[in-house]
Amino acid sequence: LRPQACIRAIMKISGKLKQRNYQIAVISVFLGLILASWKPNVLIEGIQRACLYAVIALPMALILGIVGIINLAHGEYMMLGAYFAYLLNVYTGLDPLVAIFPALFAFFIIGMVSYKAVIKYVLGAPELNQLLLTFGLAMVIEQLANLVWTSRPIKLPLQYVSASATIGTFTFGTYEFIYIGAAIIVLVGLQLFLKRTSTGQAALAVGQNPRGAKLVGIHVDRIYLLIFSLSIALVGAIGAIFMTRHSIFPLVGAPFTMKSFCLIAMAGIGNLMGILWCSLILGLAENFVLSFRGYAGWADILFFALIVLVIMVRSHQRQVK
Amino acid sequence: MRTRYFLYIAILIILLTLPLYTGVYLLNVMDIILIYIALALSWDMLLRSGQISFGVAGLFGVGGYAAVLLNLNTGMNSLICIVLGGLAAGILSWLVGIAVLQLRGMYFAIVTLALAEIFRVIIRNLPDLTGGPEGTILPSAIFAGNSTKTYWLAIAVAVVSVLASEIFVRTRIHFALTSIRNDEIVAKSSGIDVFKYLVFIFVITSAIQGMTGGAYAHIYGFVSPEGSFSIDFTLLPIAMALLGGMHSTWGPVVGAVVLGVVSEFLKLQIPYGHLLVYGVIIVITILFFPQGIVGTLGQRFKKSDIS
Repeated sequence: LRPQACIRAIMKISGKLKQRNYQIAVISVFLGLILASWKPNVLIEGIQRACLYAVIALPMALILGIVGIINLAHGEYMMLGAYFAYLLNVYTGLDPLVAIFPALFAFFIIGMVSYKAVIKYVLGAPELNQLLLTFGLAMVIEQLANLVWTSRPIKLPLQYVSASATIGTFTFGTYEFIYIGAAIIVLVGLQLFLKRTSTGQAALAVGQNPRGAKLVGIHVDRIYLLIFSLSIALVGAIGAIFMTRHSIFPLVGAPFTMKSFCLIAMAGIGNLMGILWCSLILGLAENFVLSFRGYAGWADILFFALIVLVIMVRSHQRQVK
Repeated sequence: MRTRYFLYIAILIILLTLPLYTGVYLLNVMDIILIYIALALSWDMLLRSGQISFGVAGLFGVGGYAAVLLNLNTGMNSLICIVLGGLAAGILSWLVGIAVLQLRGMYFAIVTLALAEIFRVIIRNLPDLTGGPEGTILPSAIFAGNSTKTYWLAIAVAVVSVLASEIFVRTRIHFALTSIRNDEIVAKSSGIDVFKYLVFIFVITSAIQGMTGGAYAHIYGFVSPEGSFSIDFTLLPIAMALLGGMHSTWGPVVGAVVLGVVSEFLKLQIPYGHLLVYGVIIVITILFFPQGIVGTLGQRFKKSDIS
């Protein structure tokens, strides 16, 4: 009886291997093992960096999926969050990681104000106007920060961020695992919110069809307000985490807007889980390039190569269909 | 109709003879305004097809680099180099456009936003060719810095873009682009090769931007990754075209003149934050009068005609 069960289990596994998702999983585990034995630093730091990207991209995906607006000022809100944590630290001595909670609260209100003051008016406007508006908003925030805090990079001297661990001959930073924790908390939290609570389900319904949602009695405008504010609150809090490890300046957020959008486009709108996988690809690829001396400067354009690749594959698939 | 052409010619003559009555400072201000007229118009020309580009600075910088490096390495005439810089930007945008113009709307917009960054990174990472982060300096500015001649060069650049825009408005390209903007499926089913027209307009506008970049680089005799790819060259043309009025030739021109004058004033008042004002102008224009100055005034006049 036992050999039969074994054979059945093997058959089951090999049957699953024919499915595309499992093939991808096996190949990526295999590649990960190769990478781990060849350049373990790339693997660890790549995963940490990937989770930072994912946690920044997730709120943007939420806005895009439900409110239907591409927020080009996304990175700028993160930058504001970082400065918020910095100022709290300077004036009250609050640790930036504790400042996450006031940042959540403050940026929820900032999000509400931005929505009520600006975003609300372009919801029905053509897509071009929405893009231009959020681009203008990004410029306003960026230049305002530049005017108030100047473009000088700022970094807090925190002791605990340089914590590291050593396995054999290989040393890596352990503090950055906070990004992995943050990404998992945000992803799981958002999934639970969207699937398990009635407000979240209403938000999903609005994302699918605003008119239909209105017909069944959902306050569409209130949902938009909630989701926008929630996303801004999340990204502001992430800014507080971000500033513990990185130096901040007014332009720090702009690349994250583009990378976040790249991840969303790769994963497909509305696919929160996919963002995590795509950011893993991006983070590992970037760290892989960074690990070669003399070529580190090229890591910044990898996301662009990835997005073009994805576009080509997608449009090819569309033509085949 | 004929009086209109006389008016254009009169304006052109006044512009061309401006160096006779004014000093160097005003000519320098005019140079900037004319450069921005070209950029704002070329941005608007692509917008007429419904595609929004945030990559003006990228092609501007590429054209500038191409013009300067060609001049340094081959010793060709600066004017030819400026044209070749435009050509280089056009060819580059043709190669990029084949991939990128599969995209529409926000996807296209973000990819162009990334493009400017990409070009900057590439140029910074090729120090042997481009001088790396420090940039490259020409031995002398074009025409040995003669402000009257550089002013005429700037006029030539602006006139080329105005002419291109007017030609586009008067030919069937305009109808093709407008119908693509209004409804792509309808455009396709009435026999318009959407992709071909989009690539065409993208290449033409990029070539104008590259040529403008070449002229700018030669006027100042200097290119650098931070200076030539500065966000100014994306932000200002957009603010100008929006303020003046989208989808027309004269809207961006009016916007560029108004904002160009205002910006000279602002640079003196708030030297580090003047870009803030452009951001505010973009937001306010989109929120309150999306048709811009020319569009709003035009509607007023039409209304008063009827009444």
